[in-house]
Parts: sequence; C-alpha cells; structure tokens
Amino acid sequence: MSLESSTVSTSLDAIRGELAGTKLSTSTFNFVVWIDDPARRDWVLDRAGMLGEKHPSFTLVLDHTGVRSGDATVTTLAKDAETVYSVRGERVDIDVSGTDPDRVVGYVVGLCDAGVPTILWWTGMREESRTIFEALLPFAKTLLFDSSGGSRDEEAMRKLVAFHAAHPEVELRDLAWMRLRPWQDMIANFFDDPNLLGELFSIRRLQISSGSDSEAFYLAGWLASRLGWSASGRGAFADRDGHTISFTRTRVGDIRRVQSVCLDSETSWYHGEVTDDAGVVRIWVEGTHAREPRLFPLPAIDNASLLERAVLETGADDVFETALCSAGTLLG
Amino acid sequence: MTTSAAPAGDGVAVNPLRKGLSVNRIPDPCNIVFFGASGDLTKRMLMPAMWNLRLGDILPANYGIVGFSRTQFSDNDFRAEMKKAIDQFSRTGPAKDPLWSDFAKHISYVPGDFDDVNCFHKLREALEQNDRELGTGGNRLFYLSTPPSVFTSIIDQLDKAGLGPRDNKTGWSRVIIEKPFGTDLDSARALQAEVSKVFEEKHVYRIDHYLGKEPVQDIMALRFANVIFEPIWNRRYIDSIQITAAETVGVERRGGYYDNAGALRDMIQNHVMNLLALVAMEPPVASDADSIRDEKFKVLRAVRPIDRIRVSLDTARGQYDEGAIAGQPVPGYRAEPDVRSDSNTETYAAVKILVDNWRWADVPFYLRSGKRLAHKTSEIAIRFKSLPHRLFGDDGDALDNNVLVMKIQPEEGISLRFNAKVPGPRMHIRAVSMDFNYGTGFGVVSAPAYERLIGDAMRGDATLFTRWDAVETAWEIVMPVPDRWLDTIDESFPNYSAGSQGPPSADRLLAMDGREWRRI
Repeated sequence: MSLESSTVSTSLDAIRGELAGTKLSTSTFNFVVWIDDPARRDWVLDRAGMLGEKHPSFTLVLDHTGVRSGDATVTTLAKDAETVYSVRGERVDIDVSGTDPDRVVGYVVGLCDAGVPTILWWTGMREESRTIFEALLPFAKTLLFDSSGGSRDEEAMRKLVAFHAAHPEVELRDLAWMRLRPWQDMIANFFDDPNLLGELFSIRRLQISSGSDSEAFYLAGWLASRLGWSASGRGAFADRDGHTISFTRTRVGDIRRVQSVCLDSETSWYHGEVTDDAGVVRIWVEGTHAREPRLFPLPAIDNASLLERAVLETGADDVFETALCSAGTLLG
Repeated sequence: MTTSAAPAGDGVAVNPLRKGLSVNRIPDPCNIVFFGASGDLTKRMLMPAMWNLRLGDILPANYGIVGFSRTQFSDNDFRAEMKKAIDQFSRTGPAKDPLWSDFAKHISYVPGDFDDVNCFHKLREALEQNDRELGTGGNRLFYLSTPPSVFTSIIDQLDKAGLGPRDNKTGWSRVIIEKPFGTDLDSARALQAEVSKVFEEKHVYRIDHYLGKEPVQDIMALRFANVIFEPIWNRRYIDSIQITAAETVGVERRGGYYDNAGALRDMIQNHVMNLLALVAMEPPVASDADSIRDEKFKVLRAVRPIDRIRVSLDTARGQYDEGAIAGQPVPGYRAEPDVRSDSNTETYAAVKILVDNWRWADVPFYLRSGKRLAHKTSEIAIRFKSLPHRLFGDDGDALDNNVLVMKIQPEEGISLRFNAKVPGPRMHIRAVSMDFNYGTGFGVVSAPAYERLIGDAMRGDATLFTRWDAVETAWEIVMPVPDRWLDTIDESFPNYSAGSQGPPSADRLLAMDGREWRRI
C-alpha cells in the first residue's frame, strides 16, 4: 500500500473533499500538532510522522511557522482499486500562519473524528500563540508538551505549572519528565536495600547538573513529592521534621540531558554521573554506606518512542502531577 | 536519624521512590546459581535473560551469578562463553563495554559433578565469597536447568553441603525447577518427596515458561478486566474450547529424552494443562500467587478422570513420518538421532477433557500438541454456540459460530470472529475477523518469558509458577492415557506426514462430536 499526497487550498471544504474521496480507514485517535518554531519544524514533523505511520490515527499538523506557502497537504492511502479497507493513518498539514483562532478551531472541529480522543502536541514557543492554545484546549483529552524541548531556561516549565493549576482536568504529558525515568530508577536503586531506606529521610543536600532547567526541577520536585519535602525557597526544602535540604542546580551539558545527581544524607553521599559514554552512568556511594562504583545503563529513548508512550498511557499520572506541583513551589 | 519508610503488607519495607517506576520492587541482593550452566538453555535463554534484567535495572545492585556444571571452565572461560551466548541470543544485541565488564565481574563458575558433595562445598565457598565481596546477603536462588535425572541428586547435595533453607541463617534459599517435573505420576511424587525434604513449598518455583508469556498472562486480563466476556464464559454460551500447541520442529537434540516422554508428557501435562486452568478457572478473590493458584487447582480437580477404557475414544495419537516443512524435506521421527527405529512414542497427542463443575459441565475441551506440524502456533480458541434461530443470510451463506482466539505464539494477540453483512443490496452474511496484535497494539515487543519468570523468582513472587498440588493433579488426569498407550502398540505409526495437520485419528476424535479442529 502506498501513500498519496495532494496539495489543496486551506479551505476546509477543499480539505474535506480530498479526504472524502479516500478509502475507508480506521482511526484510534486524533493527533493535533502545533508548530510555530521554524527551527524545530522538521524535527517535530519527523516525530509526528513516525507516530502516525505506526498507529491508526488522524494527524492534523497546524503549521504556524510560515514556512509553508498558504496551502494544505492531504496524505492518505493511495486510491488503489484493490484495497477496500485499510487500517492506517491519514494526515493533513495546513499552513495556519496568520490564521485567527476561530478558523484554527474550525479545522480541528471539522476534520477530527469526534468519536476518538484528541491528543494535542503543543510545541509552541511564541506568546502570540497563546490565544490559539487556549482555544484548542477544550478539544484536547491529552496535552503533550516538552518543557525542555526548545530552551534551557525554566520559562516553559513555569508555564506548564500555571497551566496545570488552571486546567487540572487535562491529562498532561511532558516529554522532559518522561526522559527522566532512567534517572529515577537509578536514584531509587540507591535505596532499594531495606536497610538504607532510612537514609532517604536524612537527606540534607541535593545537587543536580543538567543541560536545561526542567530536568533539575523535575527531579527535585519528584524527590520532594515522594519524601514529603516542602519548598522553603528556590534553593531549599524542609522535610517533615523541619530539617533543611539545600538544593543546588547547575546548567551544564547538552539540552534535555542530566549530567549528574548527588544526594547527601547525614552519613553518606550518593553519586550518579554520566561517563564518557553518554549511555552509561557511574554510580557510587561514599561515607558510612560506601559502595563500590557500578555502571548503570542509561537507555537512549528516542523522542518518537516517548511520544508513543505518552499517547498510549491513559489517565492522569499522579506521580508526575505531584512532582510538577512540587517543582512549581520551588519556582515560586 | 528519622526513619519513616512504610512497610508493605508482606512486611517488606517499600521504597517510596519506586511508585510509578518500571518495577515496584527490586529483588533482594542475591546469588543465582545455574546448574547445567554449560547447557543450551543457559546459553540461549537464561544468561541473555540475566543480561537484559541487568540492562532493564531489574537486578538488585548486589548480585552474583554462579554457573555450575561438569564442564571444566575457569571463571574467565565461563564469562567468555556467556558473552558469546549473549552476543548471539540476546534480544538487545551484543553485550558492549563498559556495561559488559561490569556485569562480568558478577559472574563466576564452579565446575563439578552433581553427585559430589565436595563440589557443592566449593559452591558454598563461592557463594559465601560473593556474600562478602558482592554483598549478596546470603540470599540464594538455585536454578535447576539440568536433565531431570539429576534433580534429586542436586537437591540432596545442596542439603548435605548446608546450602538448603534450613542451614541458611542469613537469607533465603529458593529453587527453580525446570520442566518436566517427573515423567509420570509416580516419578513426580518421588521427586516431590525429595524436594520437600529440603525445600518447603513456598521455596519451590516449578517453571513452565509458557506462563511467563504476555498473552498467557493476558488470559486473566481478558477475562477479569473486561465486563463483556465473563457473562458468556460458561456452558450456556460456549460450545467447545480448543487448545493447541503445535510445533514445526522435530525432536532436534532431545531424541533420547523425547522417546521416553512423548507429546502428552512433554506438552499436554504441563503447558496445555496450565492454559486449560487459566481459561476455565473461577475469578480469584485476589491477585496474589496463592489466590490464583487455588483457583487453577480447583479447575484441575474438577476435570473428569479419563477412564482407561475410554482412552481410545477420547484421545488420539500420532507419530510423524518424513515430509516437508517450509518446502524443506525432513526425516521421519524414527530416523531422528537417539530415537528407536521401532519407536511407539507419540509425537502428536490429542485429548478430549470434560470439566465437571457448574460452569463447564458438558463443554468439551480439546487439547492437542504435536511436532512437525504445518505451522508453529499456540492458541486457545473459544467456540461459541450456534445461533438459536437463523434470521439473516441466503441459503448459501454459512453462519459461522463466533470464535474468540487467544494467540500465544508466534503471533501474540486476540482475534474475534463474528458475522457481518456483506455490502450490497442483499442480506449476505459472511464471517469477519477483528484482530488485536500485541506488537502493534502497544507498540512494544514482549520480553521473553524467562526474563519475567527469573525476576519474579528473585522477588519471591510465585504467581506464574506451578504449585505441587496442580502438578500432581495434572499427572493424575493424564496418566491413564500413556499407561494405556504403552500397553498397545499403534500399528499405524508413523501416521502423519511432517508438515501436515496431524493424524487422521485426531480428526475422527472431533468428528465423533460433530466438530472439526481449527486449521493449524
């Protein structure tokens, strides 16, 4: 089976007309993608394409970068006479630069299948896109975001915290959070020995080095939410007994990557640090509970797989949400 | 120092950071000892499983892997062998440094005979050394991946060398026993008697790798996590159930063993009976190991004993002749290495089973397993009853029974066949199929069963392992069949060609009930 693309005007009727002529297909979700950063456009389109190819879905790319030339592309299964039924994706890419929010909403309402969930992947970075974001939200069951996707600073995460506070009903998935799973496994691994569990409750210092701020805030927020810490400023937490835990973050290395984590308890120092091989972390413990260095695999999870996981996991993720709230208290 | 870690229900303190992560609980620090470490199973399955458990961070930080077999290896020789095995058979590809070097530090080897207590004393020294140097905490998991003939010897020597649970004052000792657990009811009971002298039931993990496959675990999810199936999962709506475990391979290098076992003992008594129990069991009261295993045992207890005089009516047996698999000629069974030239051993077995309880009365379960069949397939097919009244369809239309198929291997998924109207002005009805496939449905590839099962045994979770009462009952169910077959030479052997659907006698078994096998 081959795919067939045709370019039409951005008129809703023209796009629908093109879709109506295709073979019957099955869709399990609508995947609406918003792009407004030309620098990331190809990257986003590639990942969206991979997801659409693998799962029966309707992908609607709302391209606000201005790179397209005022048209729409409809990609469907080729109209092969021998193919009666198909289970695969359809995709429409529309130039929405300069388009008002009502018209963008019109595309979503007019093209998406109302019978299946709509997942909105928002890669938008521009403030002027905000009104369109707000207009699209009521149609999204799940919002995908990447708080360290385009910048190293904390701004995107700050927006996400604010968004979650305002719209707790929307299922949130942040790729920046999802990338941290191996680090969370590794940190948990330090304390799996039942004899060391008490150490978790005597942590006094947390240091994180990462290429962008989201990772540091998420890891700190996650530890805080799991261990009952509350933020007492941008650089400190207090545990349940009132002890202070200092929090230091250093911006170093590649964007979206953690370089090292160090947890100091009253008796020991727990270290994890990326080795020369970016896929391997060296972990070791000094102090009373000293442990010889060992190596820990850091699986390279590509963004297409993260997107896929984000789409397939349903329901709210309460560990994520509590970590996000904790990170929010740090951000102030 | 404040300690606020909450203990779990089983008394094990829970790491609060584990919530929502890949695994809820990492196993305790431990040693795992592979008996028969130079064998094929260790190379193809067990060591690749350990490597992938390591990559997936399922292993504890402190672990030791000790190989034990007769082959003379040094530690380094054994590591090199295992590296080759992982490179060849691991689902994640070749093992690379620096992770391999780190993993290899945890591997050691003890050469020895399975009946020489001195070798087991050396094993004990190696384990104690690991406890000191790797921090394995005295916890020991012994994996018996040897021929069954040495199981009792190993268990006896473990006890004599002070490696059994009784003598372990610092940690736990568990044993994983590969199938077959006995070759008949008497030998199974004899083996159990020896095992129970050293290990309590809670320390024994009888492995049936079928139970570690995702689609097998999904049988319970399908039944008990959906409301639409359970109301029709009974004699009122179900006509019959077919459970198939078909292979295209022959006996390969197992001719010596297989010629004394046959398809019934090799597959039906364990794999297929386990599938039957999962399909037919009542909802368990909880999801813990014993609640589930209690229900499986109750099903087996309800199976109507196969009367010796009905063996010829309710069973069929076959033996493959030469033929072709995927276009390649293959020899007949009697020409396989280590097989007697006049062998009466069945390479195909089919059995009709009835479960005498409220839910399944009069619903036949047709079980079959064979080698050198047309395709490799394992599946459970639930055939629903015919329509009470034919409303649609032309005379020429076949209104097929609905069939729900749980595919276990090589395809993994679920398929439902139902009738639908053929587009057009007339009311033509045709059967169509709705398929769910694990690979595309979840976008992930299932991990091999051994990874799941070894990880579970390390964690002390026996849910997917077979309890002795179920093993014994399964033997009680099937034993009249091989007893009768042993007494009667089947003059028709070999009676099916390699690459075919099986012997004609199997077709007759179902034809007597007015039914047909699903095509393999």
